[in-house]
Formats: sequence, structure tokens, C-alpha cells
Amino acid sequence: MPGFLFDVKVLELADEKGEFCGKLLAGAGADVLKIEPLGGNSTRSLGPFYQDKDNPERSLYFWHYNFGKRGITLDIHTPEGTQVLKKLIAECDVLLDALPLDTLEKLGLDWDTLQQLNPRLIYACVTPFGRSGPWRDYKANDLVHLALGGPMMCCGYDPKEDGTYDTPPIAPQMWHAYHITGNQTFIGIVGALIGRETHGNGEMIDVPIHQAVSVCTEVDVPNWIYNQTACYRQTGRHAQPAVGPAVQFPTRDERYSIILPNPFPGGYETLVEFLDTKEQAGDLKDAKYEEATNRRGRVFAEHFSDVQADCVAAFGMEEIWRDAQTLGIPWSPIRKPEENVEDEQWQMRETFNAVEHPELGETFSYIGAPMLAHEVEWRTGPRAPLIGEHNDEVYGGQLGLSEDEIAQLKERKII
Amino acid sequence: MRPLEGVRVADLTWLLAGAGGPRLLASLGAEILRIEWRERLDFLRYMPPFAPMQDEETKKSGAMELSSLNKDSVRSVNRGGYFNDINAGKKGLSLNMGHPQGRELFKRIVAVSDVVVEAFTAETMRKWGLGYEQLKEIKPDIIYIQQPGWGYKGPYVKFASYGPIAQAVSGLTEQSGLPSPRPPAGWGYSYMDWSGAYYCALTMLCAIYYKKRTGKGQYIDCSQVEPGIYMTGTALLDALINKRPSQRTGNRSPNTPAAPHGAYRCTGDDRWIAIAVTNEEEWRAFVQVMGQPDWALDARFTSLAARIVNQDELDQLVTEWTQNKDAFVLQDQLQQAGVPAGVCQTAQDRIERDPQLKHLEWLIPLSHSEIGTWPVKDVPFHFAKATVNQGGPTERAAPCYGEDSDYVYGELLQLSQEERDELVKEGVI
Repeated sequence: MPGFLFDVKVLELADEKGEFCGKLLAGAGADVLKIEPLGGNSTRSLGPFYQDKDNPERSLYFWHYNFGKRGITLDIHTPEGTQVLKKLIAECDVLLDALPLDTLEKLGLDWDTLQQLNPRLIYACVTPFGRSGPWRDYKANDLVHLALGGPMMCCGYDPKEDGTYDTPPIAPQMWHAYHITGNQTFIGIVGALIGRETHGNGEMIDVPIHQAVSVCTEVDVPNWIYNQTACYRQTGRHAQPAVGPAVQFPTRDERYSIILPNPFPGGYETLVEFLDTKEQAGDLKDAKYEEATNRRGRVFAEHFSDVQADCVAAFGMEEIWRDAQTLGIPWSPIRKPEENVEDEQWQMRETFNAVEHPELGETFSYIGAPMLAHEVEWRTGPRAPLIGEHNDEVYGGQLGLSEDEIAQLKERKII
Repeated sequence: MRPLEGVRVADLTWLLAGAGGPRLLASLGAEILRIEWRERLDFLRYMPPFAPMQDEETKKSGAMELSSLNKDSVRSVNRGGYFNDINAGKKGLSLNMGHPQGRELFKRIVAVSDVVVEAFTAETMRKWGLGYEQLKEIKPDIIYIQQPGWGYKGPYVKFASYGPIAQAVSGLTEQSGLPSPRPPAGWGYSYMDWSGAYYCALTMLCAIYYKKRTGKGQYIDCSQVEPGIYMTGTALLDALINKRPSQRTGNRSPNTPAAPHGAYRCTGDDRWIAIAVTNEEEWRAFVQVMGQPDWALDARFTSLAARIVNQDELDQLVTEWTQNKDAFVLQDQLQQAGVPAGVCQTAQDRIERDPQLKHLEWLIPLSHSEIGTWPVKDVPFHFAKATVNQGGPTERAAPCYGEDSDYVYGELLQLSQEERDELVKEGVI
């Protein structure tokens, strides 16, 4: 089966700022050709490493974020290399550029030139803070983006009784600034591809990571806009103008579960009945609580939370949540990512796939599609490219260079 | 020109995970018909913050200018500030899907739509006789996106999912926070609601592109949890391949060597600065900004490897330096010296202070028929040629309840005034 983007050719020049977007494009069926410098991309030095051996062909970071792409090496900073790059740009649909600011401009490949090379080109440019503005040249990484963009001030642990904090804001692990940006860049790119179907023209899309991250928080921004109210960060729940009752509780096996308030009518009663079937309803079955008026206010909310905590503490993390969910109670274990692999839900949906690494003679389990399509296929392979793995295929096949020409480019360290 | 001009979406979603996907398509120019019914409105319509009334407004300094106030209650279903942001650029119509005539009317909307997207519980549409097979009969190339939380296929089809649930089960919650035995801190907002919205949007866009190229529609089963697992990244592979159970590392860099790497306390109430020193060059610059304290020359800190081994002490020493300093001044000094650093910004900081976000025009003023003009978060993809912004084709913030019913039933479906009056009387619209 073809993918959604079965006829889209993407050229990727990216480090960690853009590789996730390229992975999504490859997953959606585009042919993503990744250009790396000779010796491999900088992201091949990011850990963890297969068997902990620090080696550019063993970066699990690179494996994950470059899954399903093809890869060539090219020194774009040499005049000949720039010429080869131009040829590739002329033949692609999308150029995904997450190189350091101005890299392509310095090679003479500004937007006007790119349009002349390929009037139908969709040029997506991912930068830390944007291509202009007072913070244009600021340096950042995942942590700094999550700080400046706002997620950190929403994430962390409860304040003390007096409303002050003895714990810092938390940056959730890991690479989420780039996930957030990759998702939104992808949306812009495919939007532009659809527009091109109508009017035939190329487009340039500029995506500042700082802005992408800044729009990805929730009620903190409207609370300030409408009421000039600040939010408290609090363990396991939404940052809000007031600190609410706990929803995250330790389990008998020293893990954690979460129970959310059910907003639908009857949600409270269903939960109490369920707790009662586990003999964990505490005093909630007492007649006084039948009156809704006795279930209002902070004291009751905290008591209700304590009863739930006692129930969670009486069972293992995986033990009773499915029973609760069957009744519509929003209850979930707090799993480690890898604990999902054996879950029957994901097995039935084939969420994880076996992927071959022929160079190692091994097969590993990877996350597959983020949704379940039926008419098209989400790409489930091959594994990330080795350094220069597709050089011959691209330089010989696609660009039609002779073996001699390729050999010369290699000798002169262009490819 | 807007890239998705001519694309129409019948939007039967709510909250953020559901309604956020069509929001993004609106920014690209699609016409979104947000279908609501008064007896079961989106919770976000009741959720604070609310746009203040005029008399309240005058008491508050720094509030935005309001116009066209015409309802009595702050609790009007049209005053929710969060709803206004999440549904910007959409058209709104009232339609009782629980009524047989309502469902007949819905079929006529399907006939003129490209996409049907819904976030009902799994069997709702099928029970109404509006499953994919039936939708296809009405419109052979329809794109139908179902988002029942955990996914339609699979034993958990009836399970409830909200952002925090999807975060908890996928592994995202467990990965956020200080190392064990501290509990996970999790996410202070519904990251998986936004992500659910992103994946819903990207799925719809992929399907629209595919339809443009092949003429074919399709059905897609979106789960809110799978994208969460997808974004646990390398932790998953490390566990599956290296057999090393994933662990939280707080704000420290788990896989790429960096130290200091964390949030450090500054002066003021709950003020912190994130600093990430990833190589020797940045370390030298950092030491320079600190005024070259003696401890920085100690062998425990002079190489990255040594700093990582001695991170506890390092963090303490860095905190002793930062805690008497202003976070924003520090940010400027460190950035000038080439050290990646940034204040842990609040919403107020981003809205009132951040010069870069202002430069990027991250908030755009959009008008709302009842509460006037308010800032709404714009999309972060800046198109050079096409018109793309969160006002969408309506050039408006969120619709009031039923605001565009006349357009849909009159202009689009060509129902006569008598027919529409009859439908109102029957409790259908």
C-alpha cells in the first residue's frame, strides 16, 4: 500500500531541530532523503547508544529520529557540493532546513534563488527563535526552549502550604521542544502541499521553535489575557490559578496511578460504586454524602481524594484500572514507555513493529504509526540510514552521474 | 489565497484534543463547521477564564479593550476565554444530532463536506446510522476521522481518555520529574490534548492531500495515546534494545553530556533560569560571566566529564551564584556570552515582556461577536506567500453558539425560511 504522501520527495538538511518532522514525513509515506556531512550528521553523536558503544552508526537517537529515511553524504560547503545540492533541490517537493541560521543563505541559496531553482518548492525553515528579531541569535537547546516557551513553569511539584516552591519547574524528558515544533512544521508543510495542488506555486514556511513551544501550553495564557491571573504548577495536574486536590497516587507496588474527576453526570456516583466493589469506598457510602450539598468545597474534595489514594494504595498499578475504565472512570497506570509493548491494545493495533538491522543481524521493536489508517500505509521501515548508504543510488541513479564521476567526487571529499 | 481554500470540515469534536485539530485547519483556510447542541455543550464553554463584563473591566487595570458587550451574565456560554482560543477561525452552528431529523440534516452537511471529524465515544456515530459505510454512501470520497481516545480498534475502545490519561499510560508522565524516589511530576497541562490536536490535524491534512492526488477518501482511527508513545522517543528504544528500564533525570540531560544543565533559582518569587552548558567553549564563557570564581578552576569542574560526575556540587555552586541575581539580567549576560540560557517564563512574561514573541506576533487580535476583540494564539508557521493565520476564513475568534446557523442552513443547504422555522420548532436546530 502507498502512504499518504506517496509522491512527495523531501530533502532534509537537519539536526535535532528538524529530524522529528522528517521522521513524520517519512512515516506518512514521503521519500525523505537526508543529506549529511561527510562522516555523518552531528546527531549521530547523541546518545543513548546501542550496547552503550559510542559510535555514529549506533546512536539510538539517530535510529529513532531518522527512521524510514534514505541518507547520502555531501559537503554542501564546497562549490561542487553546492552545485550538487542545487540539482537535488531542483528535483524535490519539500526542502526541510533546520541547519544553523543563515547556512543556506551563505551558500547563495536564499529564498529567491531557491524559487528560481524550483518554482514549486515548499521550503520549510526551522530556527530556534526565528529569522529576525531581538533574540534571533540566542542559543538554546531542548531545556532552554521549554523554559522560555512556558511549559516548564506549568510543570513540576506542588507548592508548600504558603504557596512558595522548594522545587524547580520541570522540563519533561526529552526532546519535546522539537516534537512540538516537528508536529507543527509538518502541519504547515502538508498545508502548503495542498495549497500547491490548487495554485501550483511553491511556498516558504518559517517555523520558530520558540513560538511553536510558546503556543503549546494551556490555560496559563488565557488566564493572563482575560483575568491577569497567574497559575500554580502542581504535581500531576494542570497548572491553575488555585491548587486543587491530588489526582496522582502511589500504588501497592510503589508505582503511581492517576484518577481524573469524571465531568459527566453520574461520574461521582460511578466512582464511589466502583471503590465500594473493591471495599475501598471509606465513608463515602454514608447517607450524609448522598446530598450533593455535602459534597461541595475543599474539605470534601480533599477527603474524596484521600479515599481514592487509599484504594490505589491497596492494589498494584496494573491491577484494577481496566475494571474502572470499563465503567467509564478515567483511571490510568503511570507507565514507563516500554511497558506499553506487551499491552493487548497496542498489540492488536500493531503499534509496535519489528525492524531489521541487517548490518547487525538483529531485529528490534520500534514504535510504528501514531494512528491507524486503512487505505494507506504508515511506513514501518527501513531503519535509519547508515552513513552514505544511498550515495550510489542517488548520485548514480537519480542524478545520473557515471561511476567515474562518483569516484572523483569521493576522492575530492565532496561526497 | 489560503492553502486550504475550498476544503470544508464537519466538526463534531469538543474540548482541546478534539477541537484543536480543526482549529489548525481553519488557520490554513479550511471552512470548519463546528456543530454543537445546547443540551450538551462543550465543557470549555463553561470553563474559566471568562471575558469580564464592562463594569468589572473598568476595575481591572491592564485589561484589553472590549466592545459589543450585549449579554448580562459573565457565565454566558459565549464568554469563555479558553474556548475562544481553541475554536478561533471556525463557523458555529446548532444541530441536535440526537434528533432523527437532525441526523438527516447532518447527512446534507456531509454531502457538501470533505472531512467529517468527531470525538464521540466509539459507537455513537454507528448507532446513529452514520458510520463510515453510510457516510461513504452520502459522499463517496469523504474523509472520516474518528478519535475515540484509545482508538476504535482494540479491547480498550470504550475507555475514557483525556490529556492526563494519555500522558500517564504512554510514558510521558513517568518521564517527567525528579529521579525516583520522588514521584513523577507529570505535565502541568494536557500536552496530549495539544498533541492529539496536532495528530488529528496532520492526519486530516495527509488524507486531504491523498484525496487531491488520487480522488479517494478514507477512514482513519486516531488514538490519543499512540502519539504519546511515539513521542517518548529514545527512552523507548533504550529500554527495548539495551534492556535498560527508563528513568527520570529531572532537568538534567539524560543522554547528551551537559553540565550544568538545569533550572536555577534567582531573586524574586519563584523565579528560575534554565542554563545548559554543553561543551567546553560554553563552560569557559559561563565561568567568565560568573567572574571566574576559584571553585571553577577545581579539577572537579574543569572538564565536562568531571562536571557530570560532580553535578550535585556543581548545581549547588551555580545556585549560590544565581540566587541573588535577576533572572532576566542573567539571561541577557549569558546569551551575550554565548551560553544557552533562558528564564522559566510565565504566561505574563511571554505576553507582556518577551520581545521575540512580540516581534513574531504570536498573539493576534481577533474579534468575537459577543466579547469583542481579544488576543488569540496564532499558528507558529509563517507562510511567505499564502494567507495563514488563526483568524482563518472567518477572520474571527470563536463562534458564538449557533452564530452561523443561518449561513449553513440558508446559504449552504438552501433551506427556506419556513423549513428552518419548522426545524427550530421541532428542536432540531
